[in-house]
Amino acid sequence: MKRTVFSILFCIIHSVSAQREYTISGYVKELSSGEALFGVNVLIDGTLGTTTNEYGFYSISLSRGPHTVVVSYLGFQTISEEITLDSDRRVNFDLREESNALDEVVVTSSSKGNDVRSVEMSVATLKTGIIKKLPPAIGEVDVLKSIQLLPGVSSVSEGSSGFNVRGGSRDQNLVLLDEATIFNASHLLGFFSVFNADAVKDIKLYKGGIPATFGGRLSSVLDIKQKEGNLKEFGGELGIGLISSRALIEGPITKGDQDEGRGSYLLAGRRSYIDLFAPLLEDLEDTQLYFYDINLKVNYNLNENNRLFLSGYFGQDKFAVENIFGNTYGNSSATLRWTSVLSDKLFLQASGIFSDYNYEVDVLTSGTEFRWESSIVNYNFKPRLSWFISSGNTLKTGVDFTYYEFNPGEISPLNNSNTTPQEFQEKFALETAPYIDFEQKISEKLSLQYGLRLSFFQRIGEELIPVYENGEPLTYNPTLDLFEENAVLSETPFGSGDVIESFTNLEPRASARFLWNETSSLKASYNRNYQYLHLISNSASATPLDIWAPSGPFLEPQFSDQYALGYFKTLKDNAFDFSVEAYYKDFRDVTDFVDGADLLFKEAIETQVVQGDGRAYGMEFQLNKNSGKLTGWLSYTLSRTERQILGINNNEYYPANNDQTHEVSLVGIYKLNDRWEFGANFVYGSGRPVTFPTGKFEQEGLIVADFDNRNGNRLPAFHRLDLSATLNPKKGGNGTWIFSIANAYNRQNAATIFFRERTQEINDVDIPLGTTEASKFSFLGIVPSVTYQFKF
Amino acid sequence: METIKRTFKRNILALGCILVFACETDVTDDIDLASSPPKLVIQGGLERNVTSPLPQQQIRLTTTNDFLSDEPNPAVTEALVSITDGTTVWIMDHQGNGIYSNSDLSPQIGVTYTMTIVLDGETYQGSDTLNEVPPFDRFFTEFEEGTIFSPEGYFLKFDTTDPANIENYYYYRAFRNGEFVIVPDPGNAQILIASDEFSDGQQIIGADINGEVPFQVGERATGQQLGISEEYFNYLFQLFTQTGNTGINFGGNPPPATIRSNIINLDTPSRRAVGFFYTADVEEDTLTITE
Repeated sequence: MKRTVFSILFCIIHSVSAQREYTISGYVKELSSGEALFGVNVLIDGTLGTTTNEYGFYSISLSRGPHTVVVSYLGFQTISEEITLDSDRRVNFDLREESNALDEVVVTSSSKGNDVRSVEMSVATLKTGIIKKLPPAIGEVDVLKSIQLLPGVSSVSEGSSGFNVRGGSRDQNLVLLDEATIFNASHLLGFFSVFNADAVKDIKLYKGGIPATFGGRLSSVLDIKQKEGNLKEFGGELGIGLISSRALIEGPITKGDQDEGRGSYLLAGRRSYIDLFAPLLEDLEDTQLYFYDINLKVNYNLNENNRLFLSGYFGQDKFAVENIFGNTYGNSSATLRWTSVLSDKLFLQASGIFSDYNYEVDVLTSGTEFRWESSIVNYNFKPRLSWFISSGNTLKTGVDFTYYEFNPGEISPLNNSNTTPQEFQEKFALETAPYIDFEQKISEKLSLQYGLRLSFFQRIGEELIPVYENGEPLTYNPTLDLFEENAVLSETPFGSGDVIESFTNLEPRASARFLWNETSSLKASYNRNYQYLHLISNSASATPLDIWAPSGPFLEPQFSDQYALGYFKTLKDNAFDFSVEAYYKDFRDVTDFVDGADLLFKEAIETQVVQGDGRAYGMEFQLNKNSGKLTGWLSYTLSRTERQILGINNNEYYPANNDQTHEVSLVGIYKLNDRWEFGANFVYGSGRPVTFPTGKFEQEGLIVADFDNRNGNRLPAFHRLDLSATLNPKKGGNGTWIFSIANAYNRQNAATIFFRERTQEINDVDIPLGTTEASKFSFLGIVPSVTYQFKF
Repeated sequence: METIKRTFKRNILALGCILVFACETDVTDDIDLASSPPKLVIQGGLERNVTSPLPQQQIRLTTTNDFLSDEPNPAVTEALVSITDGTTVWIMDHQGNGIYSNSDLSPQIGVTYTMTIVLDGETYQGSDTLNEVPPFDRFFTEFEEGTIFSPEGYFLKFDTTDPANIENYYYYRAFRNGEFVIVPDPGNAQILIASDEFSDGQQIIGADINGEVPFQVGERATGQQLGISEEYFNYLFQLFTQTGNTGINFGGNPPPATIRSNIINLDTPSRRAVGFFYTADVEEDTLTITE
């Protein structure tokens, strides 16, 4: 089988590379800072085209003779150059930003008309310049809140940075910061994300059509690239807001008398001080509540062809009440990357990555003080080779190696308390995934991108694996309609490095683009994805109490198949573009927990979860206005997401927690003049599924609710409007003011509605009254804020 | 371990409450809840109490009604109820208001009791096994000052020794002047029930009967330690988790679901009953609060 695949590939490659051609290649950079530009359109003679890769590199093969090369990128002035090819040539381009132009780019794929031409579908790219123009959620522009304005992307509740893509749960998103996996992208329990918009260059979200170069998650890839730093001059930026402040410095390394440094660096930091403003009770004077994070990036040109990058992230959240409680959690990551232009057609990159997510809880109740620590650490090595065979034909191949260390929990006494120390077994896993991805131009009209990923996941020792009665941790009892835990008969010891269980799976990926005419195209894609990590969390929003569990003897890997179709159209010379996509997704072996699960401090997590199936389907519409004084977009999503799991909802399909029938986003940015810009976004979404009681009864002196269907009810619809106004400095001046109002008409959107027995507080004790009530929780009301930022 | 879980959970909940700039609104009048056909509800079980022997064993039968209804649950008065240990059958006679009792039944340790209910031509059945409870080694009170997480007052405390090498499950009840007191508190699932999973054979010192129920000077305080079955422990865990739900997700509340009963409808299994028929061995002590 493999042999056939490779011989077919060889034939294809051979045939497409057979013509006599010369190669033009090079880097495209931003003129003012030397920052590499990703996704720049390089168009030859108005017909042949390519785009730059993540490092700003492009390569295209052309016939001998004169050619017109047009380099264009939204928000930058287009360069047009005549080049005569009689040998392979290296040509670099520097693009100048259109600083005062009226053409403000909001969102689209990276380049003019590129949505229509590119083979990619179900992809959205946002540049930070755009993110920063959107009204901030609560005083802070936020990368993850911004992508939720795109069709097919949503979140379960307002206070969650976790997001859902096309019916996927929030653990099915591969979130990469300079290739390092971020396991929890939220700060302050979800009101902010860990990505500092200052340090981010661009983000790319794959909702479908995920190329074989990515793997490990079912529903999306959020690829975030940090800025590289200014190669030409030292500079900085400072932003002061009500909730947080941030600072950034960047500059060249070993510049000397040259125009550009051999390298550059960027260092950015943020610190929130929300605790000063939180409406705290008097008892809580000694409360700490903040987050901070630091982003670092350094790059260095070893020579013309070889470049080194080092990037790092470190962030922490801290919440503490003196002598009572403390909670610290955060991500840290480091990426060392080497890129090398081996030849005009071969580009090599190799990255070594470390990433760590840890959380700590200190319980400081006198006498039983203890600390609970947990972490997930992974080490990656990702070499990849890109071969620019000829115009429109590119081959990428590589291997992703990942080694995981899970530390599910460790309890240690603090202040010499009598708490018994305890440690759950660590878990280890190794994932190896070779892949090949091929972009092929069949004709002017038809282009294909297809590939194959082979994922090989091994759970390895040292670990003691329990042997359960009946061979499984849980057995469903249909009479009682519940899962019964099976007894542990014995434990099988596995030595360090011994393979406990291994999984091998093929993940085919394919996309096709048919160019209908110059302004419209049809696209289709198919994806199979496997995921070997499961987030076991019984709450819908992102909390630091997430437990990640690897696949193994009692937990099957989850997988999905996604089919998508799309129509893309540009109108009025790219002033508008329109797209509609339909998708169908089939999920297998997704996890949910058994009714009545207890996840806290459970070592045998397999006794609390069950696996089942799911399906999601929907349509997404998006209309962008790309130029003029008013830019923005309107998007609408119609979708359905369901699950079917044994023992839940009488074993029938039920709407998933993240199901949302209608979702509308309207985003507008209006540039009044050189000084004033206004932004607004409005979102509307159908209410989320919830489970309301269908009856009550009494038990042990308490009123208990009875339920018939999982997620059989809906919360009220969600809608809100955010506004912002930016006052830019006068010419030659410095300092920008950003005024914003989040939730402008103070809508009390329901985060939850819950049901309980009424109580009355007598002598500090809540006495149950025997009657019942329904109560609605809303997160944020209207939040005005102001930020001042200036450059130096 | 249970102590750790309990403090942990309570603190996590507090964290959630403080962090969220949340606003809570009573929407009782805006909600229309679907109602489902009434289900049979079983309340109560058999208790072996050596300290203050019960004059009779009793259970109560009602049916479910709409959740937001202020009406009490309708009593079931027409059922035929019997309990057997496999050899003897005791008939539980209806005493009014859904209460069925028998004064001859004296529950014994280690025995499995099966209850059968015949109602509207359908037979319901469920059983539980009575597990022995160890005595209190010490029963006392301690005064605790109020914190943001707990009220102020005298709290019932006890020492007890868990029997080694057998699985034990416990449930704790507090009584004020003879009246059972319980608070729908998020911590109940960690405080009012316990297993010896991490403390087998050990002496437990200074544990709370119910950390949410303070007593005042002059009050008569009774505490009970019940030896219960694993099934009843799991049932109570879900019951207390659900009734302690504060509506915020941060504590990790599971999505609501019917708490499965141990009573099965033998004729139409899909028409389920709710509630639990339990058997318990009760250790009890009483004291009057003094300064």
